[in-house]
Amino acid sequence: MTTAAVLTARLVKHYRGRGGVVEAVRGVDLRVEAGEVFGFLGPNGAGKSTTVRMLTTLLSITSGTACVAGVDVAADPHAARRRMGVALQEAGLDPRQTGRELLVLQGRLFGLPPREASQRAQQLLELVDLGEASDRRIKGYSGGMKRRLDLASALVHEPEVLFLDEPTTGLDPASRLTVWDELRRINGRGTTIFLTTQYLEEADQLCDRLAIIDGGRIVREGTPAQLKAELRGRRAMPSDPTLDDVFLDATGRSRDRVAGDVQEVSV
Amino acid sequence: MTHTWVLGQRALRESWRAPEALFPTLFIPLFFLVVNVGQAGKIFPSSSTSFLKGQSYAAFQLPSSLLLAASFGSAALFLVEDIEGGYFDKLRAAPVSRTAIVLGRLLAEAVKGIGIATVIVLLAIPFGISVASGPLGFLLLVGLTALWAVVFTGFMQLIALKTRSAAATNSGGLVFFPLLFLTPNFVPRHLLTRPMEVAATFNPVTYVMEALRSLILDDLAWSHVLPGFVVVAVLGAGALALNVRLIQRYD
Repeated sequence: MTTAAVLTARLVKHYRGRGGVVEAVRGVDLRVEAGEVFGFLGPNGAGKSTTVRMLTTLLSITSGTACVAGVDVAADPHAARRRMGVALQEAGLDPRQTGRELLVLQGRLFGLPPREASQRAQQLLELVDLGEASDRRIKGYSGGMKRRLDLASALVHEPEVLFLDEPTTGLDPASRLTVWDELRRINGRGTTIFLTTQYLEEADQLCDRLAIIDGGRIVREGTPAQLKAELRGRRAMPSDPTLDDVFLDATGRSRDRVAGDVQEVSV
Repeated sequence: MTHTWVLGQRALRESWRAPEALFPTLFIPLFFLVVNVGQAGKIFPSSSTSFLKGQSYAAFQLPSSLLLAASFGSAALFLVEDIEGGYFDKLRAAPVSRTAIVLGRLLAEAVKGIGIATVIVLLAIPFGISVASGPLGFLLLVGLTALWAVVFTGFMQLIALKTRSAAATNSGGLVFFPLLFLTPNFVPRHLLTRPMEVAATFNPVTYVMEALRSLILDDLAWSHVLPGFVVVAVLGAGALALNVRLIQRYD
């Protein structure tokens, strides 16, 4: 059996909050094969980001194990970090640097000598189509440009596994399609992609396999086609359901309930 | 060492590109120097005030301004920006030692401290202030001020890492301000009232201030200078250790 790109066993995360212990992740078992695009879905607060933060060494693990590219992230976080790229929910960029400076710095932090870091930065700026904006400060970039730069910064060291936490949230449709194209290209080069998203269409378009987490537990896992077929068979539906139907079924939510929920609106 | 250096360069670029944060660190200490000398200068004429050693009262006040300039801790606020904006997680997800993440900012603070102290001392020279301990004394004066900036920023960073809030870090920094004023700020320690003298004796900042003052007013007197360096060495080591411990346990 080949080494899995991501492998977790009974992964648990508890937080101590003011109201007592919060069980954010309650025994997650995952296996993502090398070269896959793996989608990790779930409603808000289900444990998606917490799981990703544990896998990327940003959060301590309460119990269980997690390996990325064959390296135990708790036992040898340094080695694990060398093998993974990370782009989190908020594009983690320094607004006072230029795009080029940020990528060169990132290269240097991953051990590239100065000249090589500059060359790699140039390649990546071209890859994500930011060549013309490369010497402008990041604070002047649009949301889409920031996302693409964040993606580029996660690729500086050519990671084996790329973790993306909601990479297209807040982007306009055109920027979203650009990011999708980028992800397909990156995956085409052999990089495993572990992706969380709120957009089920995105998961359907991009992911080879996906898992749905709810209440800190994995409630569905399979290819999009398998999950749809399973629901259709179980519910004796006349036609193939959408991934939205699979999601709502898996998380115990219904269209009626979602439509009727009070939504917080920010102006 | 490479990581500390590149992160330090980045922190310096950050400061340089935020002149609005740099300007008060120069202006406010100079403002206090002018105001304090204006208010108390006549009480202490250099001709009849032995503790001035022949210099003006401004020379006696200069160490307070240098310490104030080195106690803004703006690097800690930039750290909060990194935390709030997600860049701090980007750094933590890179194979960089946690010590380098802390030291990078402190290194930049030391360089900034050298620059600011040099400018303030150079601006003071035309007003009749001289550094009696000579060129070596000037270097020690600037170096000790910069090291105090590192210590103060180190403690501010602890608040930043613990609270992850700009407001809390800003307010937390004010906790240290009484320490700057529970010192022989306006007169030497032996002229303070007894309670103030006791408080100043227990306050480590006193020894940094007295070392700086000695470098300005006296020939190089190691017995006065060394305690200042010992204080910044001990407090600096403590701040660094606590920073590294906090960042290693950061979730």
